[in-house]
Amino acid sequence: MSDSHETPSIDRRLLDQPWRFWSTVAVAGTLLGGIILGALIIPVVQGRSAGLDAYTAICRALGILPGSPAQPQPSDRVQRTPVSQVVWTSELLHILARADPARGRTKALESCAACHGETGIAVAPDVPHLAGQSGPAIYKQLSDYRTGSRAHDLMAGIARALDETALADIAAYYAGRPMRNPNPATLAPAPAEIITLVELGDPRRGIPPCASCHRAGSGGPIETPVLAEQRDEYFIQQINLYASGQRRNDLYARMRTIAAQLTPSEIAGLAAYYRAGFR
Amino acid sequence: MTEIHQELHERRILGTELLWAFGVGVLIAAILSMIVFTALSIGVNPPSNVERLDPKALHLSGEFAEDNLGTSVGSDGRVVVRVIATQFAFLPRCIPVPVGRPVTLRFVAPDVLHGLLISGTNVNTMVVPGYVAQVHTEFTRTGDLLMPCHEYCGLGHSEMWATVQVLPENQFQPDSNGRVSCAQR
Repeated sequence: MSDSHETPSIDRRLLDQPWRFWSTVAVAGTLLGGIILGALIIPVVQGRSAGLDAYTAICRALGILPGSPAQPQPSDRVQRTPVSQVVWTSELLHILARADPARGRTKALESCAACHGETGIAVAPDVPHLAGQSGPAIYKQLSDYRTGSRAHDLMAGIARALDETALADIAAYYAGRPMRNPNPATLAPAPAEIITLVELGDPRRGIPPCASCHRAGSGGPIETPVLAEQRDEYFIQQINLYASGQRRNDLYARMRTIAAQLTPSEIAGLAAYYRAGFR
Repeated sequence: MTEIHQELHERRILGTELLWAFGVGVLIAAILSMIVFTALSIGVNPPSNVERLDPKALHLSGEFAEDNLGTSVGSDGRVVVRVIATQFAFLPRCIPVPVGRPVTLRFVAPDVLHGLLISGTNVNTMVVPGYVAQVHTEFTRTGDLLMPCHEYCGLGHSEMWATVQVLPENQFQPDSNGRVSCAQR
């Protein structure tokens, strides 16, 4: 009886043999055809119209030779200072990650608390609250004050007196404070168009939603500040500085472009929205 | 089931399999020939330029510093456009280009993956942080073209777009530094 079991299994293997052979041929053929087309024929033909010889075209298609950078610009333009000197290198992120809030508290009581408050709640209307603000955002602004990318008579001097680790520690201290309890009196319902601007933006004007960057954990640029529960006076002042170009330490003009398109009533509405911090 | 039935059953399965394999093969061959045809006849290709650039320090790099962005014409008459694609805007937001002249477009991204296409043209590329996406093209008609981001880049992706202003030669006037700005309308 064992014979009758073995015979069909041998048969099946024999039956499968040509399939295995032809499928291997098909896969290998497709691969070979792809290589010939993609790495030889197309680069050579396209390279010819770009004035490249066959060898260069093939090497560039394979990524062995680098491409041709566009010709350098005539250097008759005076190079202006970059809008910010902050570069988010992994070393900097390490410094921020290792920052010590306890050390930051001591430093903050010495240098910051007089205006920004011990817990990060400021008293004067044009001084921003720092409680619960994003650490990288605080660090970026302090660093920009230090390098002169953001101008402020008082802040420039204070930031220059601190070293990089101190900036990171202070940022970590204020970032660790909880946000205020929102005052129920300020929780008036926001107008629909302001909610739309915050949640959906305005595609017609190319204004992205505020919440796409300024809500904690939204996935926007790392230096973006959290706006919830921020002072409205400070908010309006900064938007206007961006709009007029007096403040220009936002990388790639992200805020200057947006602020210049907002109407005064929109700015006031957004300030009121973010003062309350909640919908 | 008898031997004969089993044999017939096997053959029917084989027939169906071959039919489907043939159909799929024809589809793949058709799509591949389309790609090859467009690549060879109208120059459609994935950008082949491999050029690395530190995405974290674009604002400190000479070429993609803020003042150097936009359209410029070199002393040799070459038109080069430099654009940053960032969350959630292109900088600059309006890009002037001449009609009927070769244009080199160079895009970089400092943060996440972006992409773009210029409607009605063969310009269509991804912008990968760390690399320069370079496209050579020639615009054939004047007018304003839409250039949206076409690679999901975050919550503000759908508001990320720029305008390409294709200008006739007499309106495409570089200043003394070779820079060209969009015509105000």
